[in-house]
Amino acid sequence: MSRVMAKRVHKALADDNLQTALTRLFGLIKFVRQITFANLDFDALSQEIRRIKENSIANLPQLVEQFKSQAAKAGAVVYEAEDAEAACEYILKLAQEHQVKHIVKSKSMLGEEIELREHLESAGIGVTETDIGEWIVQLARERPAHLVGPAVHKTMEQVAELVSKATGQELGTEPQALLDATRRVLRRAYIEAEMGISGANIAIAETGTLTIVTNEGNGCMATTLPPIHVAVVGYEKIVPGWKDAAAIFRLLSRCTAGMKMPVYVSHITGPSRTDALSGKVLYGAGGPAEVHIVFVDNGRWQMRETEEFREALYCIKCGACLNVCPVFASVAGQTYGYIYHGGVGAILTAFLHDVDEAEEVASLCLGCMACKAACPARIDIPRMITRLRASLAEEKGLPWLNKMAYRGILKYPDRMRKLIKVGTYLQRPFVDKDLMIRRLPVPLNSLTKAISLPALASEPLLEKLTNFQLPVPSDKPRVALYAGCVASYLYPEVGEHVMKITDECGAKPYYPEGQACCGAPAYFAGDVETALGLAKTNIVALEVKKPDYIITVCPGCAAMLKKEYLNLTVAEPRWNQRARVLAERIRDFSQLVLELTPSTREKPLRNHKVTYHDPCHLKRGIGVVNEPRELLKREGFELVEMAEADACCGFGGHVVLSYPELSKSILNRKLDSIEATGVEMVVTNCLPCVLQLRGGFDKRRSHIKVMHSAELLADTFMMGR
Amino acid sequence: MQTEVAGMVERFKAEAGKAGALVYETSSAEDACNYILRLARERDVKSAVKSKSKLADEIKLRKHLESRGIDVKETDLREWMAQLVGRKPAERITMAQLGKLMSKATGEKLDSEPRALLNAASRAIRQYCIDADMGISEADLAIAETGTLVIAGNEGVTRLVAVLPRIHITLVNYRNVVELLEDVYVRLKSPKRDGSVKLVPGYVTYITGRNTTADIPGAVLARAQGPSEEHIVLVRRTSRRNVA
Repeated sequence: MSRVMAKRVHKALADDNLQTALTRLFGLIKFVRQITFANLDFDALSQEIRRIKENSIANLPQLVEQFKSQAAKAGAVVYEAEDAEAACEYILKLAQEHQVKHIVKSKSMLGEEIELREHLESAGIGVTETDIGEWIVQLARERPAHLVGPAVHKTMEQVAELVSKATGQELGTEPQALLDATRRVLRRAYIEAEMGISGANIAIAETGTLTIVTNEGNGCMATTLPPIHVAVVGYEKIVPGWKDAAAIFRLLSRCTAGMKMPVYVSHITGPSRTDALSGKVLYGAGGPAEVHIVFVDNGRWQMRETEEFREALYCIKCGACLNVCPVFASVAGQTYGYIYHGGVGAILTAFLHDVDEAEEVASLCLGCMACKAACPARIDIPRMITRLRASLAEEKGLPWLNKMAYRGILKYPDRMRKLIKVGTYLQRPFVDKDLMIRRLPVPLNSLTKAISLPALASEPLLEKLTNFQLPVPSDKPRVALYAGCVASYLYPEVGEHVMKITDECGAKPYYPEGQACCGAPAYFAGDVETALGLAKTNIVALEVKKPDYIITVCPGCAAMLKKEYLNLTVAEPRWNQRARVLAERIRDFSQLVLELTPSTREKPLRNHKVTYHDPCHLKRGIGVVNEPRELLKREGFELVEMAEADACCGFGGHVVLSYPELSKSILNRKLDSIEATGVEMVVTNCLPCVLQLRGGFDKRRSHIKVMHSAELLADTFMMGR
Repeated sequence: MQTEVAGMVERFKAEAGKAGALVYETSSAEDACNYILRLARERDVKSAVKSKSKLADEIKLRKHLESRGIDVKETDLREWMAQLVGRKPAERITMAQLGKLMSKATGEKLDSEPRALLNAASRAIRQYCIDADMGISEADLAIAETGTLVIAGNEGVTRLVAVLPRIHITLVNYRNVVELLEDVYVRLKSPKRDGSVKLVPGYVTYITGRNTTADIPGAVLARAQGPSEEHIVLVRRTSRRNVA
């Protein structure tokens, strides 16, 4: 986190116009997404795109050759540019040779990346952006705020002023009038331009074809009306054939704007040609006489060589990840600083622009994994973010505070316990009667800005569980509790409830001593070494008495134990094998209770409505969605679903510490959708989520109760059985 | 087989309609022509540009519109030359004669040099497209899965006809409806008679529904930069005798 980024975040959150516009845009996006994704086999379609992109990138050198020879056959000129400068220079020279004074340009992320417009303008050539949003942004001398709506951050009044100035007319704020005026200006630009510049969404090797997608129709005009067409294309856009392009169309616009198909798709194979006049092929028959295709490397080939980040090249720039990103919905694009936004943006920024800026972008990530679930190319964005942080930590070292926290405290459970003991004394002046901390002094005051915090428990879980510490041999399934830090030190009562309920389920619960922090905080901050150490500590601790199951109350820990330990130990086969055994034993609380007591019984009628919040790491981390709901219903609760039950609560990553204001904005959306259900209680299966939601409702002075499933069921479980 | 085609056509109509196109279906040439004429009159259309279309030829659309006072310009180069000459095919005409005809049509003084003629013709045709109120195309294919029109051509003007005028009408022969996006390439790359595979058409445009924009804050507005109306006239079968 840096001050600059914190400032940008603050600015975006304080901008009422932006917030209103974003609320409207995301409402619309979510609405249309629901319609277009209904009855769609997203898994099958995205697997197909994944397969196509994997193949294409693997065979890229051959595909480039094939594309070049086919495009040449069709009369196009192909130029390969190593970097931004080479690409810009080639195009500038071409423009100067043809005495080009005006250029029309359709939207291209690569164009933004290589700063093509700026390059041409500084040489005295007029460039008009033709996507309406992009044109507005150009008039305002800004960079696009959003992939789909580049000018989403502008109000009607601002747009009216910009368009009035550009057209020399006094235009009011009537949208239709603004659009008509804009269309007239752009029409003139297409007709007058001597060159049209586009990107390409896809490049098809088998025929040397460029594929350009637009909804407004500007792509068709910018590439047909001017006598020269130049396309800037990233190598990663190449696919083998037309059928591959078809597979991409199926998801591209759905992901971008909730449309089944883009309104216009232009396939361009060579310049305009005819043999009508002399029997010989002549170019320039109503369309451009020259088509130039500029392939740009600018870091892409290096990315391809870097196994860990290669899959970022599978990105089809649809924006699906941004449309579901809670951070993006709060701050939009310009906050990110560079043109590539969101999670995948961090990786692209690192390779195609600047590593330090990439670190800033990555610092905004909640780790909620919504992007991964929405990606039509199934790119594991969260994993790459973790890798990026790890390689940055390796290169530059961790900040001293983090290093001390991870390597000096987290790593040693005893030290941590002692320190927290000290904390329980230090916190006393700030703890209210109901054991909440509502205000902390400087420099910790930012922590209690967004939420009220729970006090550290006077007795940690370990001290409370003396009864359960000795497992006795019996036929009952042995269940080890992995508590994690939040249950151990903040909510030990939840650990107790879990033990009691597991016992009532007919199992033998116990609490293996020697368990430590799961290592997630260190791991996701890039400290692989500490995380690996903690993984080994926990693997050893959780092998004691060979449990049949390991029950967890925090899905963050569960996902760490179940999935990341396998990744961490991959270089050490023996540890890896032990991690595998551990992984198979991991169960979420609700999952295990259902597994142990599968028989349903008559519902005790409670006449009590609750809503359920899906923790990110439970749903998208380890795939548990239905069990918590089923258990609630079985135990007689009436479930009222909230809108976007699986949206992050804002606690994820280090966002809650680094950007509390941002965390609060995300939390507020969650609290709003809980309140909108009208129920008095929200249940979830994650203690950090409980902390966040409870703290948030406390700040709102709301009466809505927040409960972990284990807490809710503690008193009533087995009643009436 | 018959029902399969019928199902595909129904799906095409439904999807195109959902995307914002207005679909009219007919099995009579006269009805198709009258529908388009009525539309042109209702929308105050004075001039139209037209891409090459077998179906339009079959139903004699140009003549139908021209004889009722609507100016229709062919935009495919061969078709335009034939329109100038007044008969088809135009190939037998000499370059010198063509030069004269084109000079007259464009108001430029042209000799018989092909390059110069082509440049003049391009300028003229481009201008027709810019000035026209209505564009008339025929879809080479129509995709049922997405309600998409596929319009191909080597000259690129087919796209100007489809995008520049404020009203766009696309004729679709029901025989050209295919099921999936993947079917397009299979149909486009059909081999030449001599066995070699022909080049894919230089410009292949897919149009799905009506163009819109959400870039002006406050509303999603129809007609971003293309036509304000997308009409599809789906012709089931035609019989020449029906045409007056």
